Amino acid sequence: MIRVEGLVKSFGRKREVQAVRDVSFVAPDGQITGLLGPNGAGKTTLLRMLATLMIPDAGSASIGGLDVVRDRFAVRERIGVLSDARGLYPRLTARENIRYYGELHGLSGAALDGRIDALVTTLGLTALADRRTQGFSQGEKMKVAIARALVHDPSTVLLDEPTNGLDIMSVRALREQLRGLRGAGKCLLFSSHVMQEVAALCDRIVILGAGRVVAEGTAQELIAQSGAASLEDAFVTLLGSGEGLAA
Amino acid sequence: MSAVIAQGAAWSRVAAVVRKEVRDAVRDRRTLLVSLLTAAAAGPIFLMLIFNLIARQADRARELQLPVVGIQHAPALAAFLERNQATLSPAPVDYEAKLRAGDLDVVLVVDDQFAGDVAQGKQGTVRLVSDRSRDRAQASIRQAENLLRAYNRQWGTQRLLLRGVAPYVGNPLNVEDVDLATPQQSGAIILFLVAFYALLASIMGGLAAALDTTAGERERQSLEPLLMTPARPMELVVGKWVAVVLFNALVVVITLAGFYLTLTFAPLPPVGAPFLFSAREFGRFLVVLLPMMLLVPSVLLYVGSRGRTFKEAQANVSVLLFVLSLVPAVQLFLQQKEPDWLVLVPVSGQYTLLKLALRGETIPLSQLALSYVVPALLTVVALAAVARLLSREANFASR
Repeated sequence: MIRVEGLVKSFGRKREVQAVRDVSFVAPDGQITGLLGPNGAGKTTLLRMLATLMIPDAGSASIGGLDVVRDRFAVRERIGVLSDARGLYPRLTARENIRYYGELHGLSGAALDGRIDALVTTLGLTALADRRTQGFSQGEKMKVAIARALVHDPSTVLLDEPTNGLDIMSVRALREQLRGLRGAGKCLLFSSHVMQEVAALCDRIVILGAGRVVAEGTAQELIAQSGAASLEDAFVTLLGSGEGLAA
Repeated sequence: MSAVIAQGAAWSRVAAVVRKEVRDAVRDRRTLLVSLLTAAAAGPIFLMLIFNLIARQADRARELQLPVVGIQHAPALAAFLERNQATLSPAPVDYEAKLRAGDLDVVLVVDDQFAGDVAQGKQGTVRLVSDRSRDRAQASIRQAENLLRAYNRQWGTQRLLLRGVAPYVGNPLNVEDVDLATPQQSGAIILFLVAFYALLASIMGGLAAALDTTAGERERQSLEPLLMTPARPMELVVGKWVAVVLFNALVVVITLAGFYLTLTFAPLPPVGAPFLFSAREFGRFLVVLLPMMLLVPSVLLYVGSRGRTFKEAQANVSVLLFVLSLVPAVQLFLQQKEPDWLVLVPVSGQYTLLKLALRGETIPLSQLALSYVVPALLTVVALAAVARLLSREANFASR
């Protein structure tokens, strides 16, 4: 469970760029929560605070009851993050890339091998597993990055625009993977600026605009709340303008 | 108990980082081959060049080639010179131009009036024409001068003896030249070059690996996910540092092995080696260079971490390398007796001790210990600074 209360984060010498102004929401276990917002709405900054890379200026956030600032190393053991930056080591094979993260999470021996094999199989990486990632396609790289993020079987999974640059086959494979994780009772937080993406996958949606939560609920609730005909219209209506909807 | 477990986990994470970094660097075959081959080839090529240079200078000095003009006016001088292994030959007409061009080292010109002047009891004039700005000609010039001086002395002595005067009346001062330099101590410039090259190897050895693991990691966008693992920044830094130190040490060992094998087995010209480089010096070099092998990688990691891109880091590193390699050069040209505290200064201290080792002198343990102090402290400071850089939010906010 992710609990976010009044998070604030600004950048710049005089804190003049307010990326996240005041964000509160809850993402329950066993559900996929979508973080939907136009470019620059503060999604990546929010996820970086949850992933313990940035310290909030104000407010608090906890994952599985652990504070993301105070207990950040304990939080890191429980989260799997597919961040905006998802570079692999090109001279290492897919398996070695995944193994490195497993070792940093304290796994070793047969337990780690078994875990890697299982991930490689479910993600359809079997044929690629022992090749260097140098020449991998975007979709293949993404799969390795996901395996790397999940190698320690985290209870919470944060994904920042995971479908960026992927073809439709890879997107479908990713959705399957995430549904499987939901079925296993994990808490998933999925950020995207593509509405169809969020609508297709998420149980609950949190709409961010200019660093604030504009609305939240299921897709039906959001449509009802805005009085619009479709989720797309609801999104535009709730944001109060047609800003930044470029997909 | 839990502290012990936590410590065990920390070390196993450090070990994981070391394993990954070493594997990653070894897989970079081209870079690896270039750095190792350069290290291996440096010693042999370098020593061949130096030894041939010394041998050629020694040859020049031994058999003085002396083009002469008007030697027919001084047959006794010609006989003296030839008795002393100088090969006389008629100088070409354009000898001045040839001297300037460096085709000739020195030319002896006997004045037309020489025979007449001497017959009248006046001083006979000979001219030694040379271009003293040429290093290569120095040995020949000096030898020609010495021969003429010797001839002058011999002739004068004979005249005094004929008049019944003891030879030392005209030579009240007896100068004896006592050179304390052992064969190993001469050739300061060669000492400098060998010590300098060994030092350079310890500075350059880990360069590629250090930049790849810092600026490269950031440029590949693999830094951010790495920092979201439970590995503490200091664990990542120590792991990366150990990996770079291993490569640096490998390059240094290969470089020194090149020197050692070349001096031991290669058919170098027999010049009476001006320095020693046996297994003992090999070991001493490693002991002296150890603090550099630990310090330089940590500094390279710091500079690499400051760069946003590989290119930026490379530019910053080249400034660092320039400054570091300047230190021994400055020391050479100062030509002063080195103050005792110099051993504390990184690079300078190592350079000073390396020269001691090459001269075959013992390195006092106290000096060695002192030369470790500052590099050890700086290594810790640099590693802490890298860890701080890694945990900075600016790493991500800037993107």
